[in-house]
Amino acid sequence: MNIDHIDVIQALIDGILYGSTYALLGLGFTLIFGAMHKLNIAYAASSIAGAYVGLASISVMAIPPILVFFIGPLSAGAIGLVIYFACFRYMPTGNQLAPLMASIGALFFVDEIIIHETSGSPLSFPALLPDSYFFLGQFGIRGDLVMVMFFSFVLMGIVMFLLYRTKLGLATRATSQQSVAALLCGIPTHRTNATTFVLAGILGGFAGCLIAAAVGVLSPLITLPLTIKGLIVTVIGGLGSIRGAIIAGFLIGSFENIFLLVRGVNERDIYVFLLLFVFLVFRPNGLFGTAIDRD
Amino acid sequence: MDYNLKSIATCVATVAIMAAGAASAESVINIAGWGAQSGPLRSFGVNSNAVIQAAVKRVNEEGGIRLADGTMATLAYEYHDSACNAEQAIAVARRVASSDVLVGIGPTCSGAAAAMFGVFQKQVDDASDTGLQLPILTDTAVRNGLAKISQWTFRNTPNEPAMYDNLWEWIATNQPDLKTIYGGTETDQGHSNGTYSKVIVQAAIRHGFTWAPGDLEGLTGDIASGFEAVLDSSANWLQADTNFAVQARAFRKSGADVLIVSSHPFTTCGMLKEMSRQRIEPGLIVGLTSSSSAEVMKGCPDEAEGMIIPTSFAPITDAAAEVAALANENGGDADLHSAAAWENVMIIKQVIEAVGITGDASMVAQERRAIRDGLEALTETEGLLGTITRNQAEGEALKPYVFVQAQAGGWVVVHDPR
Repeated sequence: MNIDHIDVIQALIDGILYGSTYALLGLGFTLIFGAMHKLNIAYAASSIAGAYVGLASISVMAIPPILVFFIGPLSAGAIGLVIYFACFRYMPTGNQLAPLMASIGALFFVDEIIIHETSGSPLSFPALLPDSYFFLGQFGIRGDLVMVMFFSFVLMGIVMFLLYRTKLGLATRATSQQSVAALLCGIPTHRTNATTFVLAGILGGFAGCLIAAAVGVLSPLITLPLTIKGLIVTVIGGLGSIRGAIIAGFLIGSFENIFLLVRGVNERDIYVFLLLFVFLVFRPNGLFGTAIDRD
Repeated sequence: MDYNLKSIATCVATVAIMAAGAASAESVINIAGWGAQSGPLRSFGVNSNAVIQAAVKRVNEEGGIRLADGTMATLAYEYHDSACNAEQAIAVARRVASSDVLVGIGPTCSGAAAAMFGVFQKQVDDASDTGLQLPILTDTAVRNGLAKISQWTFRNTPNEPAMYDNLWEWIATNQPDLKTIYGGTETDQGHSNGTYSKVIVQAAIRHGFTWAPGDLEGLTGDIASGFEAVLDSSANWLQADTNFAVQARAFRKSGADVLIVSSHPFTTCGMLKEMSRQRIEPGLIVGLTSSSSAEVMKGCPDEAEGMIIPTSFAPITDAAAEVAALANENGGDADLHSAAAWENVMIIKQVIEAVGITGDASMVAQERRAIRDGLEALTETEGLLGTITRNQAEGEALKPYVFVQAQAGGWVVVHDPR
């Protein structure tokens, strides 16, 4: 099929809008990495699990669908806390690989629980703004994704406020920068980390619900691809950089769509991974990350 | 005197019942099922297991299986998890083949089946081939042409070339205003991809439809003709994709009268929802056989409204309706994939009784061979929708089918060519 400039611009618009879902996930990865300097690979799975719990709750309790956006994040926050205790809290501090491997295990564990509870069947998820597709000239815009984009900026603001304007943020940054010194200053580092996991979980649960609402369907099939996208966004944005996560989310979303349009679906991800390699080689700290070789 | 006669009769009856009980307790025919009980495609195994469980129960309720000496044996079965994973399916096949199981039903997914069938002996009596020698009668795995991989493997799955050929003929006859087609598929899913690019599109061309964006090189009505060009020209996606905006826009841009969405339920729903958002309203949507399931109705009933799919199962006969109810009781759904498992159990009973099995554990190899030969000799069986004929050169079935359409949250039969 012939591709014209309208198609390219439209793919860019769609990509940037859809990239806001990646940005939200990247934000959560970033928050945890920023706090502990460790990657929680189970993050996207627990986010989607939160969305599942929200969906199950509204189905079982017959409550208004909008409540899924409250129950989902709270559930994901609780799952985040469980993952903190299971995969991070008691792992040997000197062994960097232990929590990473544990969280990979948690990813598959959470995924398998979802699969067992749903038999792997896709489930319809309530749409945020079901009939919000509108046209700007020749370009179609999804209103629900505009709202997701709006939320990603709001949440970025909230996270930055929490990190830079509250005692919790101060404690988180202190723990992140030098946990022994923070402990000596009276900061309860474990509690700070646990709180960060809960907050990141709530954020992820909200992201999970928004992603499910944007797709319209929930399936355990999506946890692994979202984990990979979230990690790519985190690395390209710069590990620990909040604004980097947001911008990289939009970048990956648009990059993906352009290559889908131009090269087809079979080559799309090759270029996304190539972009990751380019960053890892030429700009390992990502767009806005701080130097990796810190003390 | 009366009292004595009654006592003797009671004793004789008791002894007879005990003897019969003892005999049936001693004679057990073991079969095995395997499929996805974990992993994202778990629903295939859950449904298949639910149906096999019901069928085995029915066989045993009706007295079991008649052995060569005229006694009845109980049918026993165990279901294993192969997770729709090739290595796991092969591992289960090897484990089952080393047990006293006489015949297997599995492994649900086409990809796992393609790999697993490869470890079976290709041709019987080939002493140089040490592949597994256990008859397999597969349900679910629907990708075209799998059974011919080994002479030990047989399938009871829909014949997609025949179904789609008839479907396009029916559409051409009943909706002559529809002239052009366009579509897409999950390119990382062997069944969706293969059926779309080698079967569905070619069948449409055969019945006078044209490819909306323009003629494609090599595309004729022949199966698999120009399939690479079809894939290149289509708007495709992957089975875990969540964003279908670009593909839906290509669908819209094609301006086709009929759109083909060849995928499994998750992305079928994702794609249909995106088409609905972009207000794409073609004359007709044609789906992949595998999407004529309860999952699509759970995931996107409104967006699927009007979609037509050919299927080898619908609860339109008493037998099919009964199997659907029994599957639900066992926590699964009877659909075009899993319902075949019921027929498979009945075929196994029929074949075992026809070839005369002793149930002697020391004769497992000979009895497996006899069952294999019996399956090969089978030309016709009664299925849930009618008579199933078999193409034994390839180990495949020719099953009756109907066309279903998504209407008001359910699948409704709109054409019954049986």
